[in-house]
Amino acid sequence: MNAIVLIARKEGGDLLLSLRGLGWLLTMAVVLSVFGLLLVGNTELSLLDNAQVVYDMGGIVTALGALLAVVVGTDSVAGERERGTLVPLLLTPTSRTSILLGKLGGQAIAWAAMYVLALPYFWAVGSTGQNLIDGAISVALLGSPVVLGFGFLAMGIGARLSSARSSLLTSLIFLLLSASPLLLGPSLRQSSVGRAFDAVNPFSGALNAYDAVIIDSQTIVAQFPHFAFTLVWLGLTLSFAVYSLNRVFK
Amino acid sequence: MILEIEHLKVSRGGVPILHDVNLSLGEGEIYGLLGPNGAGKSTTIAAAIGLLDRAGGDVRVMGKDPRTEPKAIHAKLGVLPEQNGFYDWMTATDYLSFFAALYDLHPRERDLRVRLAALGLEASQRQPIGTFSRGMRQRLGLARALIADPKLLILDEPTNGLDPRGRREMHDILIDLSDNHGVGVLLCTHLLDDVERLCKRVGVIVEGRTVAEGSIADLARSYDRLARFRVHLSGTVPQVEVPPSINVISHNGDWCTVDLSPETDPQTAWRELLFMGWPITEIQHESGGIEDLYLSLTEAKAA
Repeated sequence: MNAIVLIARKEGGDLLLSLRGLGWLLTMAVVLSVFGLLLVGNTELSLLDNAQVVYDMGGIVTALGALLAVVVGTDSVAGERERGTLVPLLLTPTSRTSILLGKLGGQAIAWAAMYVLALPYFWAVGSTGQNLIDGAISVALLGSPVVLGFGFLAMGIGARLSSARSSLLTSLIFLLLSASPLLLGPSLRQSSVGRAFDAVNPFSGALNAYDAVIIDSQTIVAQFPHFAFTLVWLGLTLSFAVYSLNRVFK
Repeated sequence: MILEIEHLKVSRGGVPILHDVNLSLGEGEIYGLLGPNGAGKSTTIAAAIGLLDRAGGDVRVMGKDPRTEPKAIHAKLGVLPEQNGFYDWMTATDYLSFFAALYDLHPRERDLRVRLAALGLEASQRQPIGTFSRGMRQRLGLARALIADPKLLILDEPTNGLDPRGRREMHDILIDLSDNHGVGVLLCTHLLDDVERLCKRVGVIVEGRTVAEGSIADLARSYDRLARFRVHLSGTVPQVEVPPSINVISHNGDWCTVDLSPETDPQTAWRELLFMGWPITEIQHESGGIEDLYLSLTEAKAA
């Protein structure tokens, strides 16, 4: 088995077999349950139309996925360095690029686990309408680059900063700033500052595409500009992660 | 030589950490790297194995430069770092199997069991590593370092956390590796007992500089730190010439002051004297030996 697959499997094991990883997945399930319950059970929220509910769930899944990616990304570099497990890995005859690619595979496994975990919640809030499939596909296609990009960013930050705690805090600040479209109201987003921020924000790229597909019933193919934008974000964060891991300990 | 470090300089964030470190280690040799906390021992190791960039000097591991040929070096290098972490959810066999695969080795489970048994971990091979004691982790770390049958083994405080029996077993393993398999061992430790038992040559680093390097015997001689003992006698000493490794300095009443050459095992020396008819009733270690040598080297340079 090649080294990249081996390391990706190990990273997957860290998430799916360790108490720490399972704890994070359980936390995500609890948060999704709370939001799901609110969307179907709360008097006001239950009056939202089906498209809006699926859109909201898409945003929540993307934000939680990015949060999980930041945690997993920080842990896979800064956490491993603090626990003393990174050095033995770097001292095998495996190139740093292969180690990084394996760890990126681990990020993909974490996001896949989170996505599979979210599917029943999508079904729970969207099964009564026509938007369930569109929502699930939009999150898979447009949410994945955003989520994985945050994972890569956290890995890069983890390789550059000296402690796992400061790496996690820095990555979370980036995440909070980027996720502000979820926090800002619609009127604030319409301001010039809000619009400028939207233009360079990967979260906005994904959310605007969800909006267009789920609420405005546009085709997914028509969202190519948003998709391209999220891919640029993915490429930039990947380059940052590669550069940083090659400098770790140097 | 499988490890040669000449005039090594390392800086971190613009601050010089190592100024001038030198050492050389041959096949089948166990070399002790000594120095106070913060002297630069771990930094030296990190630069030697290519984890840290160097600001100057030359490093050759098995004739190769770790900056340009890290993969070739790592394939024949085993390292047990001081901070030695594990994947707690894995079992010991899964862990070794994972690392073996990264070396493109695919040992059968029986082979892994043999390796674990050699380090006293046979009974724990199916346990998650999270349940291992510190000593068991240290043994598993050594098993990992040995997984690819390295030519050079670098050990940073390898006997930390081991009980006396575990330490003795670790010593025996290292002696076997160097004597019977030609493995060069760089041993970085604070435990001078380990050094005394295992190493023929040592290097002492103080504040990022090698202040002494060579065989323990030569260093003890040149720094006048031969092991000195007071021997109590219950009668007269026979008029027989003592072996050259034993130097009788003075004789005062019932007490005799004796220097032993650094290569001499004291137990062997006393046995020889008893066979020659010396009426020895008590022996006191007065000064000298590796501890005195270490203290004099590190104090003099630090001051």
